Amino acid sequence: MVAITEMTNWAVDLIDVHKTYSKAIHALRGVNIQVGRGEIFGLLGPNGAGKSTLVKIMMTVIRPTRAMGTLLGRPLGHRGKLARVGYLPENHRFPSYLTGAKLLHYYAALAKVSRVDRQERAAKWLDRVGMTQWANTRIDKYSKGMMQRLGIAQALMNNPELVVLDEPTDGLDPVARREVRQLLMDLRREGKTIFLNSHLLSELEMVCDRVAVLVNGLVARQGPLGELTERAVEYRIFFSGDAEPVRAKIETLGAKLDRCAVSLPGNDLRKVNEIIDLLRGQRLTIEGVQPQRFSLEDVLLEAVGGGKSPADIPLSHPVQKDVKGQA
Amino acid sequence: MQFIAMVVDSLRESLDRKIFWVMVAVTFLVVLSMLSLGFEENSVTFFFGMWKQNTDHFNPVTLIGRRAIISGVVHVVLDFFLGWIGVLLMIVATGGMLPSLMQRGAIDVVLAKPINRPRLFLYKYLSILVFALLQAVLFVGLTFLVMGFHWKVWVPGYLLSIPLLVLLFSYVFCISALVATKTESTIAAILLSLVAWVFFAMPPIGLEVFEKYPELQQYTRSYQSAQLAAWVVPKTGDIPYFAAKWAGGGTALDLVPASVMADADEQGKAELEKTKQREEQLLMKNPWLSIGSSLLFEAVIVGWAMWNFKRKDF
Repeated sequence: MVAITEMTNWAVDLIDVHKTYSKAIHALRGVNIQVGRGEIFGLLGPNGAGKSTLVKIMMTVIRPTRAMGTLLGRPLGHRGKLARVGYLPENHRFPSYLTGAKLLHYYAALAKVSRVDRQERAAKWLDRVGMTQWANTRIDKYSKGMMQRLGIAQALMNNPELVVLDEPTDGLDPVARREVRQLLMDLRREGKTIFLNSHLLSELEMVCDRVAVLVNGLVARQGPLGELTERAVEYRIFFSGDAEPVRAKIETLGAKLDRCAVSLPGNDLRKVNEIIDLLRGQRLTIEGVQPQRFSLEDVLLEAVGGGKSPADIPLSHPVQKDVKGQA
Repeated sequence: MQFIAMVVDSLRESLDRKIFWVMVAVTFLVVLSMLSLGFEENSVTFFFGMWKQNTDHFNPVTLIGRRAIISGVVHVVLDFFLGWIGVLLMIVATGGMLPSLMQRGAIDVVLAKPINRPRLFLYKYLSILVFALLQAVLFVGLTFLVMGFHWKVWVPGYLLSIPLLVLLFSYVFCISALVATKTESTIAAILLSLVAWVFFAMPPIGLEVFEKYPELQQYTRSYQSAQLAAWVVPKTGDIPYFAAKWAGGGTALDLVPASVMADADEQGKAELEKTKQREEQLLMKNPWLSIGSSLLFEAVIVGWAMWNFKRKDF
């Protein structure tokens, strides 16, 4: 049942979304997600968490068992508003008998885009996704990456306010992925809202403003990306010289001494300064202090209950912010 | 705009299927065969005049001759080549269209468009009927022109065969659509619609048996069931007779010259007479009642399929 809710300023406002298959399999168990207008929102979660089910419910491909909420201010499933939504499904299958250009025209016509606009936008988006020279080639001749580019173009043909992309970089090479990221950021600049479902956490990390982690049909974490990842899980203090004389004191503070670095689990800046003082007291040179922050992967792992202890996080962790050495 | 887009898409999908071109080839073969025939006052020529048979039965100048020619075109050319072979090919050609629409990954994009599910289903259904319409227009149009230009028999009423053939196809195709929404399988859609087509012919045959052997009518429940079934299911067998009637033709037996009928023995004559009477009855049937009740059946089946489509999770 989809109940009508009050109009909101959220681009996507999902309230208490449930989906049960065959009266026994609870794919979604009361999902609440809010996506602000003009932001890039990432949905992540392990396999079977219900991400695709949720996206399909938003796009009316699947009927919810129970749901409230709005899409662009109108109740879920409102047909008129779907004209303002662009959608790229995961594992899409486009009709093989069409050419790229004809496919864009067909789907845009279904989205009620006028013929004149279709002509103009097809040329624009084919160019934008680098498919102009393949516009009149049949789709069954396309590679997976080309299909994906075309899929992104079709999702944008109706000049949507909200773009829902399910695994948009699937099958794309690194160069094309960077182009897609750039495209997403350009779309955000134009004021469009983007709802991304991707298993490539590094991709999400690079573009998302906010994310939600879905686990077992429930939202386990939700918030601005910075807020979720800003917590430092460990500090690493790099130095040069011999710190053996203060090893015992360092270990008393709960830190671990390596040959040229001290690792301090946790987020206690007072202890960081104490260790620096100890090292400086030995006339050692402090080369740098690196807070090891949560990555999206850590957020996800923590949410599913497989979170790492700070000591498990490798030194070459991708998300690092340098704190100027206090030497 | 959405309906036109779906019609155009269905046409493109049809053109992509080899079976569409097989149907076009059959049409041109039939037209060529008709062109090889010639009707004159006292003879019929075959193979572009290479062989001549003297008879005045197909004299295009006389009413009886015209009726015989029209009956031949309707009962042999139209009924056999388009009514049977054509519909069979169309069922095979279109059987995969709804399942391919409902494939995971294909349906997702379409359902996310601002068109509600019942309308989407109906548009697709109608756009497939447009495919049948085009085939019928091509076949009937070309054979109409051959009759007019080559045989000098202009029969505007023959063009009414076009909607009749689309109706005939739609009676069978609605089953294909229903099966597709249940199973999403092309093979199941084709096979079960063909089974249904055969089944549609059963109640009239059953009724004939009851009428041929009146003593069976004492089994009241069976007799009434046969009557009910004959009323409920689409009357596919009526279509050629309505086409013949509206084109000014007669029964299939009109093709047989009176001299041949006269040569038959008494039993043969009795059989021919019975057949003629049955055909005459079909010609006299009320087309609106037959078509109306058949359309009612189709509407129920399409409504059921639409309901399945509306409630389905993809």
